[in-house]
Amino acid sequence: MLDQLDRLDLLDLLAVSEDDVRVNDLVLRLAELDPQASDALRVIGHFDSLVASQAGLQSIVRGAATLAGCPVRLTDPEHRLTVRVSADGVAAPPVAAADTTWPSTPVGPDGAVLWLETSRPPGTLESVVLERAAAAAQAVLQRTRGRRRAHDQALVELVLDAGAEEPERLAAARWLGLTGACRAVALDRDALALPADRAVPEGRRAGVGPAVDAADLPASWAAARLALRLTAEGTAEDPGPRIVHADDLGAVTLLVEAADARPEPVPDVRALDRASAGRPWLLVTLDAVARAASLRDAARVLQVHHSTLQERLASAESLLGWRVRHPEGRLRLQMALLLRRAARTPAA
Amino acid sequence: MTTTHSPSGTGDGRVGPPPPMDAELAAALATFTAVMPQLTAELIPLVRRPDPAAPTDVDLARGGTFAVEERAVPGPEGAPEVRLLICRPTAATAPVPALYYVHGGGMILGDNRLGVSEALDWAQDLGLAVVSVEYRLAPETRHPGPVEDCHAGLVWTLAHAAELGIDPDRVVVAGLSAGGGLAAALALMARDRGTAALAGQMLLSPMLDDRNDTPSAFQMEGHGVWDRISNATGWSALLGEDRGTAAVSPYAAPARAADLSGLPPTFIDVGSAETFRDEDVTYASRLWAAGGRAELHVWPGGFHGFDTIAPQAQISQEARAARLRWLRRLLAP
Repeated sequence: MLDQLDRLDLLDLLAVSEDDVRVNDLVLRLAELDPQASDALRVIGHFDSLVASQAGLQSIVRGAATLAGCPVRLTDPEHRLTVRVSADGVAAPPVAAADTTWPSTPVGPDGAVLWLETSRPPGTLESVVLERAAAAAQAVLQRTRGRRRAHDQALVELVLDAGAEEPERLAAARWLGLTGACRAVALDRDALALPADRAVPEGRRAGVGPAVDAADLPASWAAARLALRLTAEGTAEDPGPRIVHADDLGAVTLLVEAADARPEPVPDVRALDRASAGRPWLLVTLDAVARAASLRDAARVLQVHHSTLQERLASAESLLGWRVRHPEGRLRLQMALLLRRAARTPAA
Repeated sequence: MTTTHSPSGTGDGRVGPPPPMDAELAAALATFTAVMPQLTAELIPLVRRPDPAAPTDVDLARGGTFAVEERAVPGPEGAPEVRLLICRPTAATAPVPALYYVHGGGMILGDNRLGVSEALDWAQDLGLAVVSVEYRLAPETRHPGPVEDCHAGLVWTLAHAAELGIDPDRVVVAGLSAGGGLAAALALMARDRGTAALAGQMLLSPMLDDRNDTPSAFQMEGHGVWDRISNATGWSALLGEDRGTAAVSPYAAPARAADLSGLPPTFIDVGSAETFRDEDVTYASRLWAAGGRAELHVWPGGFHGFDTIAPQAQISQEARAARLRWLRRLLAP
């Protein structure tokens, strides 16, 4: 009688009170009905189990490589992390950059990517492997991100610290992956040390230091902090550029340093403060004039008629006591606006 | 020394939960479609399915690396012939060391091709011959039939070493699971009968103790692969009513041997999450206590036969590398 039992009956016989046997049961039943769905279920079960036991990234990439039958790679530029495992489960660093024609999927929002190293177009199995492995990897990255961020922040502080020994700063730079030209970026209550070719994050006020060798990052940091003092919110209440590059400042740096050295505010800055008190249009108007190529451009930026702008500038000139529409007066205005922004944040 | 060695059996809840399984192994096991079920006697005919993954002669030859033949050689007295699968390296220019391989399968299933691929991996790396023995299975053949078949094949191999191009002083017995238990029994027989001077015994998760009452046996019941119920089924198939009694021979259950001195250098590995953990660790400790040479690996979170089910897992790679390293050290000229 036993010989006549088919596989499904066998499974019924063997189903014990253990979850893994039940999954087996399901996989085998599906294998008879729908081989593709059975493979997909096997993949899902594999990664669910890895996530449940808090497996690491290498285990997840190894699972993907084993199930997909090709090398699999996880690249995470934000964490300077690459994990590559071949189909036989051996982990070894890649010898070449990822090929953008490989099947791939993003892992979370921060630029990490999971790649199947194959020129074959992905079938159902490969797509499920990519999707489930990416979800599992993202869970790991989320779990460890806070730790990494804190660790990285300590390294960034060290690499920018002029008081730290150079060997320590260079070691920290290597840990941060800063091997070539790099720069410091000062944000409000935050500091970055980035490769020189990396874009500055958008959306926040930023002072961008000059590109330097890693050993000179403290100097880039000092310049970046000065540049940050010259930024503004870019609103009507606080007009001005949100991002200032130290490389663009030239002699302005000397000017700010000279103003910092004075015990009293610069008279032109006091004049701006007095003139703008109770006149919300004044600073935004002057900022537009200081930064636009022409008065017509300034009127367009401010969305006012040219004659309205002329009237406001006449009023401003009488309040300030100098002609902002003359070339020399415009330079004086530009310097006064810069020094006013710098004066709001004392030098460190 | 007493006639039997009794491990500290406990079935009363003094053991904790099963040790956590290695994450990669757990994932592989969760969906492994051919997992050895919790085996009871009536299921034995069902699990004896032909192995679709069994290597062919062409697979075994590995592109001409090995000359492959099956030989039927004289069995124990009054018993049928024993089939040996013989794989010899074609590039050999002098007699080579040999692995005498005993397949696993809980005493109740398998043939001389089961598991032989890993033995060939070692042989390919180290230039060895592999002789894999097919023994009669329980319950049709009870002890001592299986182990005497293995012994007859070993004796024949050594007697024909010159013809086979094998160095008779460098023969290692090896086996996985039930095959590991049989290999350990072969080493005891060879010592006691003076039939072979073995160079080593390689016992991979060996099935050594019919008493089936160690903490790990109780701890892993209902978990992983080859639990206490399955193990009882295998031992009962081999020993019948004798299982667990003082009548059991050390050649059936090597853990019963009172004297473990005079045995060849030994390699033992086992997973921490399997029935055999404690009997295998105990066997290694007793070998040392007897003044023997033994290397023991307990792979954390490994279930029984983990590296055969999940060969790509990191811990499987390391377990397999450890076996090869031991063999290389043992057989170094």
